[in-house]
Amino acid sequence: MLISALVIAIGSFTFLSPCVHDDGSVGACWWAGRALLGLGCLLAVIAVEALLSARARFGAYLSGAAVSVLGVLTPGTLISLCRMSSMRCRAVTQPAMIILFAAAGLASLAGAWLCARAGKGIK
Amino acid sequence: MRIFSLSVKNLVRKPGRTAALALLTAFLALSVFGGSVVVLSLRTGLQSLEARLGADIILVPSEAQSKVSFQNMFLQGTTGAFYMDAAVTGKAMEVPGVEKAAPQTFLASLKADCCSVKIQVIGIDPSRDFTVQPWIARSLTGELGDMDVVVGCRVEAGIGKILRIYEQRCKVIACLEPTGTGLDTAVYCNMDTMKTLLAAAEEKGVSHRISSGDDSVVSAVYIKVKDGYDIGAVNSALTGKLRKVTAVRTRSMITGVSDSLAGISRTVTGMIIAVWVLAFVILLLAYILIVRERSREFAVLRLLGASRSMLGRMALTESAVCGLAGGIAGTGAAAIGVFAFSALIENSLGLPYLMPGTGTVLLLAAGTVLLSAAVSALAGGFSAWRLSRVNPGTALRDGT
Repeated sequence: MLISALVIAIGSFTFLSPCVHDDGSVGACWWAGRALLGLGCLLAVIAVEALLSARARFGAYLSGAAVSVLGVLTPGTLISLCRMSSMRCRAVTQPAMIILFAAAGLASLAGAWLCARAGKGIK
Repeated sequence: MRIFSLSVKNLVRKPGRTAALALLTAFLALSVFGGSVVVLSLRTGLQSLEARLGADIILVPSEAQSKVSFQNMFLQGTTGAFYMDAAVTGKAMEVPGVEKAAPQTFLASLKADCCSVKIQVIGIDPSRDFTVQPWIARSLTGELGDMDVVVGCRVEAGIGKILRIYEQRCKVIACLEPTGTGLDTAVYCNMDTMKTLLAAAEEKGVSHRISSGDDSVVSAVYIKVKDGYDIGAVNSALTGKLRKVTAVRTRSMITGVSDSLAGISRTVTGMIIAVWVLAFVILLLAYILIVRERSREFAVLRLLGASRSMLGRMALTESAVCGLAGGIAGTGAAAIGVFAFSALIENSLGLPYLMPGTGTVLLLAAGTVLLSAAVSALAGGFSAWRLSRVNPGTALRDGT
């Protein structure tokens, strides 16, 4: 979850960034990139909390799963991207972010399930 | 059934070993499925390009060859605009052997409201067109009216939506089926709409006038040669008759693409074979080591009454289950990669790329999984044979 979160946060403005505009103007996909950066940072904080605090672990994993669902829906569904599917935001950013958030979500759910089995972090 | 459950328990109790063997098989499946889908998509794309071009010869202004690679417009959707006198269409029809001549006019938009890049607008004459019209007819039952546009499948403007091109409001009335070529990113309209757009572009400072100052222009003329006529001879006749016009044989374009495709296919196939040979050798070595590691375990089972064939079947089942799990994981990972990033692969290759049908993909996936399981079982078969011949006494005494 932490690895996915870091890749999302760093990738959203580097190698997985949305379309680069020649004239400096920004489209909707740029704002999607900003939102993904925020969600990636939030997910990273949640992942660190899950690692460090045994008491908050179960809740942190559930929060991670919820943020991941939000992340999967952000590019394209909650925030629109360019309408041409050959554009970078559609060809690179969207699929990569969906896969990364889905992986983080699955890891969060697996973590929550293990916590529930062990009875840790649940009062 | 008992052998199967015992084999599964053996695998679960040694998660590290099981994961390593499954991972190795997953690499096999990943390379086969991923590589095969890419090669198949390229072949489907080439077939689509052949069907989509439809014409035998394309006439373009001589400047088109240097101004923008005409081939790139088809393959990568590069925008470009070049013009010649509209009278070329009529002159071409006078050449013996020309059956049909369909003009098209190109216009590269400024940034359209759909995207942050230019899109290619192509004006067609529905009464004469024989290249785009069959594709439009699949998606549109009515006529292509004034200020109506049909968009390629990669321009995601919903039907009924308004697309603003040079501040002109164009209504999207249909979306074309995918062709796997750069034409999927184009927008099609009739010639009257194109005249309006050209005039609007002129106001924005984008001139389309040719050197004579004439504004009655076309960008390309698609030629269909009559049956019985030699396409090469007609091509030469057209080149001789029409000044400042280049006649491009579509076959030469397709041959170029086909050559690139053959090169990529050979590379991918070579890589798949290399990965398979390497992975098979590693699997074989891994199972040989496992034989040594498990000889005592099998000796005890023999002493407890397990027959040789039972032990052999157990080892074979373990390797097949490992291969099956790895095959499913590898095929799944490859599917996520090739389907999620298909647009990126297409952009990177710069060749027609069209995914094969669902049935073909499912068959390929099933075949890959079965093949992975079979190869794993084959490599494991050796260890099964060795283990079934373990002498319990020697194994327990020497550990070999």
